[in-house]
Amino acid sequence: MAVRLFLCSVRTGDPAVGKTALAQIFRSDGAHFQKNYTLTTGVDLVVKTLPVPDTGDSVELFIFDSAGKELFSEMLDKLWESPNVLCLVYDVTNEQSFLNCSKWLEKARSQVPGTSLPAGVLVGNKTDLVSRRVVEAAQAQEWALGQGLECFETSVKEMENYEAPFQCLARQFHQLYREKLEVFHALA
Amino acid sequence: MRKVDLCLSSEGTEVILATSSDEKHPPENIIDGNPETFWTTTGMFPQEFIICFHKRVRIERLVIQSCFVRTLQIEKSTSKEPDSFEQWIERDLVHTEGQLQNEEIMANDGHATYLRFIITSAFDHFASVYSISAEGIAVSNLS
Ligand SMILES: Nc1nc2c(ncn2[C@@H]2O[C@H](COP(=O)(O)OP(=O)(O)OP(=O)(O)O)[C@@H](O)[C@H]2O)c(=O)[nH]1
Repeated sequence: MAVRLFLCSVRTGDPAVGKTALAQIFRSDGAHFQKNYTLTTGVDLVVKTLPVPDTGDSVELFIFDSAGKELFSEMLDKLWESPNVLCLVYDVTNEQSFLNCSKWLEKARSQVPGTSLPAGVLVGNKTDLVSRRVVEAAQAQEWALGQGLECFETSVKEMENYEAPFQCLARQFHQLYREKLEVFHALA
Repeated sequence: MRKVDLCLSSEGTEVILATSSDEKHPPENIIDGNPETFWTTTGMFPQEFIICFHKRVRIERLVIQSCFVRTLQIEKSTSKEPDSFEQWIERDLVHTEGQLQNEEIMANDGHATYLRFIITSAFDHFASVYSISAEGIAVSNLS
């Protein structure tokens, strides 16, 4: 294995959109090494290794989950100090949870010091509730594009597409690493 | 006694631990005397590495060349084994676009057998260290 990157991601979004469910299913598919820590503060940590296709490299993904309202507790403030990628989750049957994403994003970005903004993904969950859908994929896509986020739709209940957002985070992070190596080489 | 750069693999110095490593950019690059090569961090901070001199040295001046390092803590030990580290120096570095960080530190009480460098935070997702030189004298052998 050429390089193993360590990626720390915080999941945010409105309560009850399925953040916990998404991490649970991602953790429990059993294909790779995985661990589950529960930190004393009630923040959940999921660790998983994802190979980056065609590179021989891998990304160790640390995903911090937090119960909705406590998101910006002191503990998480600390985490935000080191740059992260972001996993922003909303519920496709709940328009407010989608509208609030810009608030979450702004808050997250304001916490990150230094020069680079965190990359990230936007995840619309609960696509199985077809008749109750109010947020269209195109609408989410358009907003995400404007924010530099990649956009996904999932149904944790139907176990649909749940790995794609995480693989995307790993790929984005690996890409950031490659870009930084270019910078480091250029400065040498 | 002759003043030398103590942080060179050609002087017998070694990096005995680093929390990150990309096999293309190993920590040995920090002490290989080549300013073109570097060690890079591969994830979350803090990140650290430990330099072993394999002898007792007294350091007078440190120069660290790096990129995107924000806060750096340096601890030192005078033991035979890499333990009993004590806090020595702490620096907040600045980042200038398109330039390497070149941090020069005049050292007091520079007696050491090991140095431990801890990058506690960075200006980016990743940081790199190109070289560390420690000007000083070799005091005695460990035995
Ligand atoms: N129909 C459907 N329900 C889902 C899906 N994902 C999660 N849920 C349900 O949505 C509810 C909330 O899920 P959680 O994972 O607890 O949501 P959360 O975002 O972690 O909520 P907080 O911890 O309060 O922030 C639960 O009752 C889940 O069973 C899905 O894909 N489809």
